Amino acid sequence: MDPLHQFQIQRYLPINIGGLDASFSNSALYMVITVALITGLIVYGMRGRALVPSRMQSLAELFYEFVANLVRDNAGPDARKYFPFVFSLFMFIMVGNLIGLVPGSFTFTSHIIVTFGLALTVFVFVTLLGLIKHGFHFFSLFMPSGVPMALAPILIPIEILSYLSRPVSLSIRLFANMMAGHTMLKVFGGFSVLLGGALGGLGYTVGILPLVINIALVGFEILVAMLQAYVFTILTCLYIRDALELH
Amino acid sequence: MAGGDDGLSKRSIGLAFRIGIEMVAAMIVGVGGGMLLDNWLGTTPWGLIGMFFLGAGAGIVNVYRAVNGIGYAPGYRKEPGPKSGPEQ
Repeated sequence: MDPLHQFQIQRYLPINIGGLDASFSNSALYMVITVALITGLIVYGMRGRALVPSRMQSLAELFYEFVANLVRDNAGPDARKYFPFVFSLFMFIMVGNLIGLVPGSFTFTSHIIVTFGLALTVFVFVTLLGLIKHGFHFFSLFMPSGVPMALAPILIPIEILSYLSRPVSLSIRLFANMMAGHTMLKVFGGFSVLLGGALGGLGYTVGILPLVINIALVGFEILVAMLQAYVFTILTCLYIRDALELH
Repeated sequence: MAGGDDGLSKRSIGLAFRIGIEMVAAMIVGVGGGMLLDNWLGTTPWGLIGMFFLGAGAGIVNVYRAVNGIGYAPGYRKEPGPKSGPEQ
């Protein structure tokens, strides 16, 4: 009946590398399932390469074109070569979020260490990209042009903090949304069971109400699952654009 | 959720989800950084106090930029590309 029980990590295959706990857990298992599903969809879906696509091929093309448009519109035409990175990120987060909605499964995006790992990857990638493209000129990002020198001691720390808060806000947004949604589903589900247990037949009748709310919530969670993947991806695109253009 | 499938409202829902966390994230970085700084330099509580206000400032800047559609670029330059042409 504990709504947070669903987030517990279970070690299926304990692995210990030099004091580092690298066990194969339920989180890792669902990541493997996610990657297998995505690879399956893309490879199996595109095996025909038909001019008139089959259902699977349409689905694969739909995702491809959606992310391709996203990269073109938000990261600029120069960002084409970073499309594979953005596409992998989008598919991994979206399929991971959606798989978590299957009853009894585990949502790995509801753990901040996973989302922070993803966000830090984006952050390091974008920072290195900017440094490689622009060298030390990249640091002009932190001193806006046309600002009086007297304001620099306040502005530069604020700009640096603003820049450093990128991975934090990226990861907290995704993890908090997924964790809150799944907790809410469990809490409302628990209401029905508890009502039935406490009041018997009358309780089961009243217990339909939380169930109705839960049905609406599942629909809402599907929206959130896709939306959070979309937001994560669009912000990655904006960051790549910043690093590339350094306007 | 009925109109969630056209481009404009998808974008606005995305924005609403985005800005909520911005303020909190910047303050977490500010306060965390301030505490680390205090630990390192032994200047308790001044690093925490100073960085708290800087973090709050950075959070406001983040929200301002997200709402104005400038994206997350540090600095106060206009949005790049031909779109910003008529504004200037």
